[in-house]
Amino acid sequence: TTKDSTVSQSHTDMTVVIGFEGSANKIGVGIVRDGEVLSNPRRTYITPPGQGFLPSETARHHRSVILTVLKEALEEAGLKPADVDCVAYTKGPGMGAPLVTVALVARTVAQLWGKPLLGVNHCIGHIEMGRLITQANNPTVLYVSGGNTQVIAYSERRYRIFGETIDIAVGNCLDRFARVIKISNDPSPGYNIEQMAKKGTQYVELPYTVKGMDVSFSGILSYIEVRSGKMLKCNQCTAEDLCFSLQETLFSMLVEITERAMAHCSSQEVLIVGGVGCNLRLQEMMGVMCKERGAKLFATDESFCIDNGAMIAQAGWEMFRSGQTTELSDSWITQRYRTDEVEVTWRD
Amino acid sequence: MAAPCTENNHKQGKLEFVLDVPFPSSREASIALQSLSPDREPRKGGISKELTVSGCTLSVRWRADEARILRVSVGSFMDHLSLVMETMEAFGPPVSVTTQTVSSTMT
Repeated sequence: TTKDSTVSQSHTDMTVVIGFEGSANKIGVGIVRDGEVLSNPRRTYITPPGQGFLPSETARHHRSVILTVLKEALEEAGLKPADVDCVAYTKGPGMGAPLVTVALVARTVAQLWGKPLLGVNHCIGHIEMGRLITQANNPTVLYVSGGNTQVIAYSERRYRIFGETIDIAVGNCLDRFARVIKISNDPSPGYNIEQMAKKGTQYVELPYTVKGMDVSFSGILSYIEVRSGKMLKCNQCTAEDLCFSLQETLFSMLVEITERAMAHCSSQEVLIVGGVGCNLRLQEMMGVMCKERGAKLFATDESFCIDNGAMIAQAGWEMFRSGQTTELSDSWITQRYRTDEVEVTWRD
Repeated sequence: MAAPCTENNHKQGKLEFVLDVPFPSSREASIALQSLSPDREPRKGGISKELTVSGCTLSVRWRADEARILRVSVGSFMDHLSLVMETMEAFGPPVSVTTQTVSSTMT
């Protein structure tokens, strides 16, 4: 009984949120409707081996593709702008120039389409997508990516940070090590380290730095940056051995601080989110610890682990349904945005 | 944001740059203003900019201590402005405010 132009009327009770994400080198636009991901296209800015991604170049990349990805998102979802109820975007944390690029488009379409705007915390985007996909009840969350490393648990309207890196993120450590030995960044340096690690046969001892509830990675990185050249040249070990040893060390540290948080919260669930969460070895090691404690492990696949637009849409959906919106004058982006700054109004 | 231009500014050696951007309608100029004004300058010191709309024109006025800082800010702004304009071209024209609530008349 409905024609194409009035399809939206059959879904008037449902809430459709479009989410824009571009805080690092991935630019994604996703659409969510009441817990269903309708579309989630994404592009990644990949630099040559040995090079990381810089803010201005990354922003340029995002600028060149964002409108195309936005059109794809609408087409794949089979929706028109009028069908969207809210425009969500990443307010922070992340890299300044890329964040601005994405926010500009979000602000502009929100005004063009006459829809409310919603600034979302990137970390919470990961958490809410993880919760949606895995249906974990109330897990201890390990959020690990190129930009963040935090152990998070929900308590009284906040996502509380129980432990975190005191310097660089675990993914940053991996990415920068990949640069040292010139591993390809396609599809991502972490993925290629993981493949090489599978072929490692020798464990090389590296510094292990857990500090109470927190971790530190800059020391391991310095150590391996300084020594790897000589070790490889003298054939003490192979690049594969280094990849293997680095993963074993880094991931053991993450498992330790996750377990410590679980003990504090008497938690029986672990949810791993963020790009490094794609790593099967990390999932395996965490799984061993969970089994020993009789706990359950939850993880998502790469479409949702890695930064994407739908996760921002999903967090936006929760926030919007609980009555939050962002005024345009308050919609400025910020490079620093703590996970526990946000009031989690959508949970008890 | 910045104080109106006075002779004092010239005496203090401040650089100024003014940009006027015409839009098809005052509504679109306002949309551009609202999109471009929320973010703060990355380097707070030594540069300020003020955005205003008059009729269909978006005006931007910069004041800076050094030419280098001014150039960077103006350059970034031009990139941002062109992105906003491309977005408006691809997804505009803006919905009419009076028909906002009537979804079935959207084209």
